[in-house]
Amino acid sequence: MSCQNEIILKVDNVHRAVKKNGTTVNTVDGISYTFNKGTIYNIVGPSGAGKSSFLRLLNRLDDPTLGEIYFHEKLITLYPPTELRKKISMLFQTPYLFEGTVRENLKYCCQHDDKTIAEILSRVGLKPEFADKQAEDISGGERQRVALARALLLNPVILLLDEPTASLDPTLSQSIERLILELTKNFCLTTIIVTHDPDQARRLGGNTLLLVAGRLIESGPTDIVLNNPTTDSARRYLNRELI
Amino acid sequence: MIETGYFQVLAAAALAALAFILAKVKSIPVEKDIAFGSVRAFIQLIAVGYALEFIFKLESLWLITLAVAIMIVVASYTASQRLPKSKRPFAVSLIAITAGSVITLVLMLLLGIITVEARYIIPLSGMIISNAMNGGAVAFDRIGSDLKANRLAVETSLALGKNWREASNRFYRMAIKAGMISILNFLKTVGIVALPGAMTGMILAGASPLDAVLIQLVVGYMLLSAVTITTIISAELAIRQYFNKAEQFTG
Repeated sequence: MSCQNEIILKVDNVHRAVKKNGTTVNTVDGISYTFNKGTIYNIVGPSGAGKSSFLRLLNRLDDPTLGEIYFHEKLITLYPPTELRKKISMLFQTPYLFEGTVRENLKYCCQHDDKTIAEILSRVGLKPEFADKQAEDISGGERQRVALARALLLNPVILLLDEPTASLDPTLSQSIERLILELTKNFCLTTIIVTHDPDQARRLGGNTLLLVAGRLIESGPTDIVLNNPTTDSARRYLNRELI
Repeated sequence: MIETGYFQVLAAAALAALAFILAKVKSIPVEKDIAFGSVRAFIQLIAVGYALEFIFKLESLWLITLAVAIMIVVASYTASQRLPKSKRPFAVSLIAITAGSVITLVLMLLLGIITVEARYIIPLSGMIISNAMNGGAVAFDRIGSDLKANRLAVETSLALGKNWREASNRFYRMAIKAGMISILNFLKTVGIVALPGAMTGMILAGASPLDAVLIQLVVGYMLLSAVTITTIISAELAIRQYFNKAEQFTG
């Protein structure tokens, strides 16, 4: 696809230090990487590797303590944060829906008409009548779909997904994966997905970044990174010795 | 009304002694608190009584201002304990309580409800500042606990391109409502559920109930104004401490 050749996001020597029990810990430790448009990127690694911490830096929910991030070749700090987050939209592991109907949730950011809402619901595999359901009455998989629809209504160019299927059963999980693949292709989105599951990364394909202790230790096409790891840490993680 | 003197106070202390004996007999672990609290109340109130006698006689504007300032500082320190140390609690609390108290007192002076006399300013300031302190403290408490408990909701709003004000508005309004609940309940039930202390005191001192009621109404409206202003400013300043210029929730 032609949209895939364009560089959209560049991360340059990014660190994120936080204080834990009085000592400073680098949750993200000197990551540099370039993300292209229209591609899926899996961020994998053991617990505490800094996957979610790294993701939060990309739409400025947190800022790096060192290093720089460029969006469309411009420092992300030069964009108003509210505008940046509409372009780089993020979904959390547990989707939060506001009190009220699905329609009200979808109108949370902007006043979309019923036709647009029906269209976006159909894009995420839900029927138009679903808009009138109360958010509290829908299942985990449906919540994730509504949250995806709500994020897509912002017309983002990058979608950040923080373990979006962690709380779902395998069947629902795979249907969300198919949806992510389809949306990435149809909207020419850059999708950056954090997952603790290398098998999920294999199913999604694209590129993979393997993080251990805040450091990027392997990156490249998913099948190469996950099938032919070059570092000992990567091998230990893939052999489930690092969890 | 029987004239109240030290003899009557000592006789009333028998009631405190009764509470102490009951706690002792029932092994309720509050005997020390009862004894300490009763003696402390005696010493504090007698000391305040002498201090007020002194200030009322002097009628010095400086002394009145100093007394009000001390009340505000102590109240601000007390309310500030409800905000984490990283959130500049004393400054936030001092600004909110000073604004609520001073605006209310100045309006009362401008409207001709009171005059600049120690016997008005000092007791009314005490009521205003203590109620403002409680309203502010509740607002601080709610802001902190609600934002932390609803981190996901706040960050979902921010991630959807909302600014910090939009992301936290629900919690800001709930904190203000919580801070005002006490004074609103007081206004709803005053005279029905309970007779307020000031009114009871006036009636016991021999004032006509109607005069006591009129004063109580003034006090009620005065407290409503002070608590509303203080709670709004407390919530406004406190909630800003949880976000930075990059529209990030700093917890």
